[in-house]
Amino acid sequence: MNKKEHFTRAIEENEGLIYKVTLLYTDSLQDREDLYQEIVFQLWKSYDSFDEFSKLSTWMYRVAMNTAIYNLKKNNRKVGTTTIDPMVERIAEHKDHSEDEKLKLLHDQIQKLNLLEKGIILLYLEGKSHDEIAEIIGITTSNVGTKISRIKKKLKSQINKN
Amino acid sequence: MELDEMKNLWEGMSNKVEKQELLTKDLIEKVTEEKYHSKLNKIRYSEMIGAIICYSGAIYLILNYMKIEPVAEKIFAVIAIGLLLTLPVISLRSLKGMQKLTISSKPYLDTLNDFGKRKVKFQRFQKLNVSLGLFLILIAIPVLSAIKGVNLSESEYFWTLTFPISVIAFLGFALWVLKSYHKSLEATEKLLSEINN
Repeated sequence: MNKKEHFTRAIEENEGLIYKVTLLYTDSLQDREDLYQEIVFQLWKSYDSFDEFSKLSTWMYRVAMNTAIYNLKKNNRKVGTTTIDPMVERIAEHKDHSEDEKLKLLHDQIQKLNLLEKGIILLYLEGKSHDEIAEIIGITTSNVGTKISRIKKKLKSQINKN
Repeated sequence: MELDEMKNLWEGMSNKVEKQELLTKDLIEKVTEEKYHSKLNKIRYSEMIGAIICYSGAIYLILNYMKIEPVAEKIFAVIAIGLLLTLPVISLRSLKGMQKLTISSKPYLDTLNDFGKRKVKFQRFQKLNVSLGLFLILIAIPVLSAIKGVNLSESEYFWTLTFPISVIAFLGFALWVLKSYHKSLEATEKLLSEINN
């Protein structure tokens, strides 16, 4: 298998990962699509730097999340608190409105976190271990635990206010 | 909603996303065949248009320099030409510094720090640029009047009305613009301090 075939396979196997990163770092469907393309482009550009011995998803999360930071809209670097509706419409195969509402609430509350907290909570929700989160983010494993507890409290208090 | 419930909700959404084919092979083809152009490093058209306008203004002033008679206006014209030539350089350089980057697989925190530092630098440059730009507008009035053959000091209301109102308007606008830049600079500095604590 050549480089391009390897890359195509890697992308196809992890497109959900890329999509979920775009979901948390954009506030419109158009921006989401633009970021998606940009991430795939940056992954291709840095594919040579991927170390076969490290985990593919760790490398992908790093490139995807780093791209998302630099891709934040110039006038809205903090990311707004817009709805998740387009995403929900796209993925909802059923009409479970209460679940849609909860997803929207979750999305809106995550948008209120700062960029570091947002990155950590994304990986936490993705089911990554503290070690993996530490490796992707670049902090110690014990610090991951502390930060997750803080974010947990913050999100809880934000949600209770609603 | 508890965090565990959030996690379950996220998992449910993930499962649905995984089932969908989100990406067509066309995009991978485009990217791997170098047919895709990154939007990150593009200098925005508005900055380019701004630079063209500034250089056109500088050329106009140079061509009409001999028509300017009073010494004060001549000095203003020289300052205006200098600003018109310098402002686009400051603007484009700061933008380039913000945009010219290589996205790597370095840790997220390092990228956040780098992004924050670049942004603070960019916003400081922009503050300087806006101040100089507003000053340029102010000194352009007597210079353009001199080129058109109008002697502002002979105008009945120039010193009593036009000049003071212009200065007040200039200062008001400058303070308003700089305040908004200051707020955004503070937000970036806050982010940098938060992520490092």
